Amino acid sequence: MLVPTIGIEVHVELKSKSKVYSTSKNAFSNEPNTFVNEIDLGYPGTLPKLNKEVINMALKASIACHCHINKRMHWDRKNYFYPDLPKGYQITQQDTPIGYDGYLEINVDGQKKKIGMERIHIEEDTCKSIHGLSGTMLNFNRAGVPLIEVVSKPDMKSDKEAVAYLETLRETLLYLGISDVKIEEGSMRCDCNISLSEEGSDKLGTKIEIKNIGSISNVGLAILYETKRQREILENGGTLKEETRRFDDHTGTTILMRVKETGNDYRYFPEPDIPYVELSDEWIQDVENNMPVLPTELRNYYREVGINENAIQTLISNIELSKYLEEVKKLCNPVVAANFLTGDLLSYLNKKECSLESLHMSKEGFCKVVSLLEEKKLSSKQLKDFLPVFLESKKEPEEIMKELGMVQITDENALLSMVKEVIEKNPNSVEDFKNGLDRAVKYLMGQIMKESKGKANPQLVMELLVQELKKY
Amino acid sequence: MTNYLNKSIKELNTLLKNKTIKPIDLVEEAFEKIEKDGLNAFITLNKEEALKQAKELENKEVDNLLFGLPIALKDNIVTKDLRTTCASHMLDDFLPIYDATVVKKLKEKNMIIIGKTNMDEFAMGSTGETSYFPHTKNPWNEKKVPGGSSSGSAAAVSSREVSLALGTDTGGSIRQPSSFCGLVGLKPTYGRVSRYGLIAFASSLDQIGPMTNTVEDNAILLEAISGKDENDLTSSRKEVPHYVDSIGKPIKGTRVAVPNYYMSETIDIEVRNQVKEVIELLEKAGCTVDYIDIPYLEYAIPLYQIIALGEASSNLARYDGIRYGHVTENYENLEELYKYSRGEGFGNEVKRRIMIGSYILSGKNANVYYRKALKVRNKMTEEFKKVFETYDLIIGPTNTNVAYDFGVKSDDALKSFYDDLLTIPVNMAGLPAMSLPIGFNHEHLPIGMHIIASYFEEEKIYKLASYIEKHLHLECNPKEEESC
Repeated sequence: MLVPTIGIEVHVELKSKSKVYSTSKNAFSNEPNTFVNEIDLGYPGTLPKLNKEVINMALKASIACHCHINKRMHWDRKNYFYPDLPKGYQITQQDTPIGYDGYLEINVDGQKKKIGMERIHIEEDTCKSIHGLSGTMLNFNRAGVPLIEVVSKPDMKSDKEAVAYLETLRETLLYLGISDVKIEEGSMRCDCNISLSEEGSDKLGTKIEIKNIGSISNVGLAILYETKRQREILENGGTLKEETRRFDDHTGTTILMRVKETGNDYRYFPEPDIPYVELSDEWIQDVENNMPVLPTELRNYYREVGINENAIQTLISNIELSKYLEEVKKLCNPVVAANFLTGDLLSYLNKKECSLESLHMSKEGFCKVVSLLEEKKLSSKQLKDFLPVFLESKKEPEEIMKELGMVQITDENALLSMVKEVIEKNPNSVEDFKNGLDRAVKYLMGQIMKESKGKANPQLVMELLVQELKKY
Repeated sequence: MTNYLNKSIKELNTLLKNKTIKPIDLVEEAFEKIEKDGLNAFITLNKEEALKQAKELENKEVDNLLFGLPIALKDNIVTKDLRTTCASHMLDDFLPIYDATVVKKLKEKNMIIIGKTNMDEFAMGSTGETSYFPHTKNPWNEKKVPGGSSSGSAAAVSSREVSLALGTDTGGSIRQPSSFCGLVGLKPTYGRVSRYGLIAFASSLDQIGPMTNTVEDNAILLEAISGKDENDLTSSRKEVPHYVDSIGKPIKGTRVAVPNYYMSETIDIEVRNQVKEVIELLEKAGCTVDYIDIPYLEYAIPLYQIIALGEASSNLARYDGIRYGHVTENYENLEELYKYSRGEGFGNEVKRRIMIGSYILSGKNANVYYRKALKVRNKMTEEFKKVFETYDLIIGPTNTNVAYDFGVKSDDALKSFYDDLLTIPVNMAGLPAMSLPIGFNHEHLPIGMHIIASYFEEEKIYKLASYIEKHLHLECNPKEEESC
């Protein structure tokens, strides 16, 4: 059986304040060629600077991917001609990548697996070519934007593993706060290498590269298609050549771009304009001490406190919510808070298309609502009416509840008469209860809540109900 | 015509301070001389701007030694809004959008830029003949080459068209023309002067340095252009000393080494004899002078061809006809745009060096040549360091010979490299070194002596050079009847 072996190279744009080798702003602009200086344009006489923030970001990524760190590193020039490359060479790290020999742990269908990390290195982006009818235009805003190239080992054996690897990597980089990692917008770009070989064999087959795939799910589709295509050729006695292909998401197929010729000659040599950088143990330690909590750690914590799996997934994929939970988890019940955040609050944010940050909600207010929910003073049904008012007015939660008539009936005598009345009206349920059917209590409970228009304190009702039923 | 530009910085400063002269007198003298001489020392003159600036300075206080003094800049140092060509057709209409760091520093001192001096194209050559523009003549004898690649700066200072200039030195490009034209030229320690705005030839070797008629002027100018620059990561944080304080300090007890390699039979006998006379002078002054062997010096030229040309092939890749510089008129596709723009824009020597450099860095050659060369370069550096454990300075001739006739070496691509036999090792090790005029040969052509110091010990060079200068008391002006 021929099985695929997959290695993935990812280019990630870092969101540092300025570019990697110049002090031009690193940001998106609708105006072309505005964040540009003589260094970005490769003007004669210019020399690169070195952005320390970029080194720190790449260090974070390397540490998060459990890499060894090159404590004495230099930069290299990769020489080639292309209009989007202003100097005629790219300043990259060929010999001494900042991080090497690490791994990322992925989880596929409950199975954990470590995917080896070959290297992580710092380099610069090219400018953007816009091909039009009147010719090609160049926008240098992107020239010199910092990138890290993250190269995995060929450790993945299926489309699922590849997708899981990319999702884990994307999450990790997002939580590190070093990139937007948006594939659609080009701040994360994926190239896959696939080769087929007999299962269990050490010998790898011919490597085919699929460049610049537009989304993580398309990576999965591209691998599936490519595996099938290569398998058919090989099983029919055909042979493969090393080539570069691209994925066409309309047809779901890969298309040949070019056959690789005898290795590209980039004439690498050490960049003489940037002296060696020594990363001291203190420097590395300092970055390590300031690492944010990463998704794996968060997941473990969530499971420990008993948050359900659906809420966990929602929290992890909504970094704003998980960060908020980190801030309030000690101030209120984290499980109730998680359900509130991932349930009604997230629906509200989605409906209004706004961010958590933009709401006028204090942490105290949030925690107050959580404890009202926890004490069942506010029912989940009431929450739906309560929430918009809470978020859109500046009133206290109790005040809102009062205004909305949500104040609970806690008078035991009043509740007892309601309980008695409902029991009398539903003799069948009393029978069911005697026969040990739990649904009887739930049903009667529902009837009482209906009767009280949801105002009865459920905890008290429950106690009284059980007490009364036991009398029969 | 006045001849103030034959005077030293300090003399001119006194004249400016007591209002005997105004900056405009110096600027007008410079332009008159340049127009009359016909040495082709300049590619671009900054006449209008210089005259305007000189006028403006009349209302300002003379607040530093360099105030109001004219200076010439080699045309590979970028000057905002003043054409900078590198003596190449590739950049013959190039107007930089920023000033090099050294230019900013000179402007802060209120120096007046007279113009941009002629050179070998992209600093590749040692005669000035590879310039795209009419080549510079040697003021001592117009049939002789001025040396290169800082040909125009050397000729302009030697002929007193200006008294101060900046050159650049990658393998000897300040020292060799200084030697051929009889002036004081210093290549500072690598990292002493910012390279920001110096159009790169070989980044790990290039340095900007002062070219002057006296040792004292040289020291003053070096101090003005030195120092850490945030725009150049290879520039040093080491404090800049008052170099001028070293002038005239006692030299007794100075330990001097003379490499046997520098005094071998390859070197012209008249040059050697002149150096020997200076050695006797130094011994009389209480210096110890030893002849020593320094291993690896003989690899200087192959090292240069590998490292300098490898780096150059990459540094010159940016001239692609897209953002600036020469663009071909006729092209059908991208490849033609590159090929024709570069083919038309670069001269033969530049093309030859780009091709050799590209070959050296290609595929397996990178290991066979480039990486091996870096190792040999380190060995050579270590050997120099060892010498400086025992000695203060190394001396010898700057060049194998004096200025020669035009055309002699232009037919042989290899021969011109041999001019730099004695100067290249200094760049390889990143050391500071000066060429100092010490006499003339039988044709009355200047002979230069090389003084090499350890890292950031330019002061020791100035100390020794000022002693020699004072005791030889040469009249080193090609226009003076009574000269020497």
